[in-house]
Amino acid sequence: MSKVPTLLDRYRLMVTMRAFEEACAQGIPTGELRGELHLADGQEAVAAGMVGALRSDDWMVSTHRGHQHAIAKGVPLEEMMAEVYERVTGLSRGKGGHVHLFDMERRFSVTGIVGSSLPVALGHAYACRLDDSDSIAVGITGDGGTNTGQFHETMNMAAIWKLPLVILVENNHYAISVPAEEVIAGRGIAERAEAYGAWGRRVDGTDVEEVAAAFAEAVRHARGGSGPALLEAVCFRFRGHYEGDIDHYRKSVVKRRMREEGDPLAIVRHRLLERGEVDEAVIAGVEGEARDRIRDILQKVREAPGPDAAEAFRDVFAEVSA
Amino acid sequence: MSENGKQAPDGRQLNISQLIAETIGIEMERDPGIVFLGEDIGYSGGTFGASRDLFRRFGEWRVRDTPISEMGFAGMAVGLAMSGWRPLVEIMFVDFIGVCLEPVYNAIAKNRYMSGGHVAMPVTIRAAGGCIGVAAQHSQTLWGMLAHLPGLKVVAPSNPLDYRGLLAASIESEDPVIVIEHKDAYLRKTTEFPFGTEVPRGRYTVELGKANVVRRGGDLTLATLSTMVEKSLAAADVLHAEGVGVEVIDLRTVVPLDDATVTDSVARTGRLLVVDEDYLSFGLSGELVSRVVENLGPSAVKGVSRLANPDLPIPAALSLEREVIPNEARILSAARAIVGSG
Repeated sequence: MSKVPTLLDRYRLMVTMRAFEEACAQGIPTGELRGELHLADGQEAVAAGMVGALRSDDWMVSTHRGHQHAIAKGVPLEEMMAEVYERVTGLSRGKGGHVHLFDMERRFSVTGIVGSSLPVALGHAYACRLDDSDSIAVGITGDGGTNTGQFHETMNMAAIWKLPLVILVENNHYAISVPAEEVIAGRGIAERAEAYGAWGRRVDGTDVEEVAAAFAEAVRHARGGSGPALLEAVCFRFRGHYEGDIDHYRKSVVKRRMREEGDPLAIVRHRLLERGEVDEAVIAGVEGEARDRIRDILQKVREAPGPDAAEAFRDVFAEVSA
Repeated sequence: MSENGKQAPDGRQLNISQLIAETIGIEMERDPGIVFLGEDIGYSGGTFGASRDLFRRFGEWRVRDTPISEMGFAGMAVGLAMSGWRPLVEIMFVDFIGVCLEPVYNAIAKNRYMSGGHVAMPVTIRAAGGCIGVAAQHSQTLWGMLAHLPGLKVVAPSNPLDYRGLLAASIESEDPVIVIEHKDAYLRKTTEFPFGTEVPRGRYTVELGKANVVRRGGDLTLATLSTMVEKSLAAADVLHAEGVGVEVIDLRTVVPLDDATVTDSVARTGRLLVVDEDYLSFGLSGELVSRVVENLGPSAVKGVSRLANPDLPIPAALSLEREVIPNEARILSAARAIVGSG
């Protein structure tokens, strides 16, 4: 996206993201998808906050909870949903599935291993330097990922070589079931940047405008040749870690309150109305359009065939000896 | 062997580490997309000297001394490859690959498959393996474990000609390849090897997945690789004097495994002995025996036998290491036993 998106643009994106996740969730009760599905409802402001600062020639490496990031990077919705539903029309013809999304045209990939997205993004950032381009790389992880060796190795290497890398941490307070504050030493995640002489900042990850401003600054820092930037966005994950998660480790009162007070969509909707930029009808129109669009995509995906049996045997190697 | 600007051998007295460094230099000159990452490959020219002079020639951005962060730089190779570069990664000792197996077997090995063929992973990993008296954590070969993981090609050269040709083919390959160099080879002169000593100065490749029949014989097929080829040839000389013809096959690569060449040989000899420096169980020797028996049918095979590390960590004392690893005497015993048994 070349121009800076308006708040309504971001809202359109966020409702699309929410509708996309809901369409994925529909595959669980029908048995089309198994429980190994990680949805990001509640974290839309983090993904939508990246739009505008990133260019199509920037790289993004995401996590097991990556649909929203992919949407922010411009990955086509139908091909992505078809991959989530393991159809032959999917990004990888059904061989990657929802935690292994690859779209090289949009310079987007996912690894399903927590923390491992960051060294991959580091490699992209190193390539940007080798290519002598002003592209950057964004590596995304969660609060849990900041306790992996990969996080620290990546921060260190990006800093010593001054690589154009933004590490975006979605701190949704839980590493699966373990509260972040019980397993993260020191003053916090953003403060870990100091140890590496890097730019570090924490923002309210439920506020898309705050995220967008801080993320744009992180990108400017990285693109400007000053080395890595670490942005921690504090947010809520409304659903369980995965769709089979009974989520008994969070009190229901806490879960209710985060939906009532920390829903990034409600925050934007309220703000748009409060500022008088748009009225209820415009908002309802945006919401309806997103819902209809995703409903149509889901229908097309459901009508698409699965991969044929021969597909399982392709693509292990590029070169197969006779 | 495919040739490309091949020049005649010039009688130089290179050792294998020099030959490897020169080969990497030739490849980096040929393809400006190759970027080399690893510990101590820059200032020091490699712990085993196998990257000498490259830092000076290609600069710090293409020959990168990394921190001791295997997970980090192995994962970097994934991003570099997706960005269109061809990473060459040195893992100093193959034993250290455990530190970074995650990006190796989950990303480097699987990204082509998981992306439906849209992502190329032309990554080459070089690592030192094998016993030279350096105990349990610095002596393994591990090619069986690595070969077990789908998506990785696994190479273990035995002689100077192959050290250059297989490495060049690995670097050129669109697929991920792990080359396990034997530590015992690094400081040996090319002329000290029993075969493959005539190394052209120019570039050539040796195709991955083609075994090399290095000695003909009609009574027993002996399949092996890496330094065990030389030990097996020495045993074959002794057996020849005893009137036993041993066909020695250098497998060269574990993946792809050229079981066809071994099967053809066993179809004539009727007997197969696999000699492997790696662990015995669940590895190369069992795999090769199974394939050959499956290919020929059990009635066509008079005997099979395996000689390998009997599933023991490699002990520090050299006297104990010798008990664990196949040597010429044990190869002779195993060969005599299988030939004598029928």
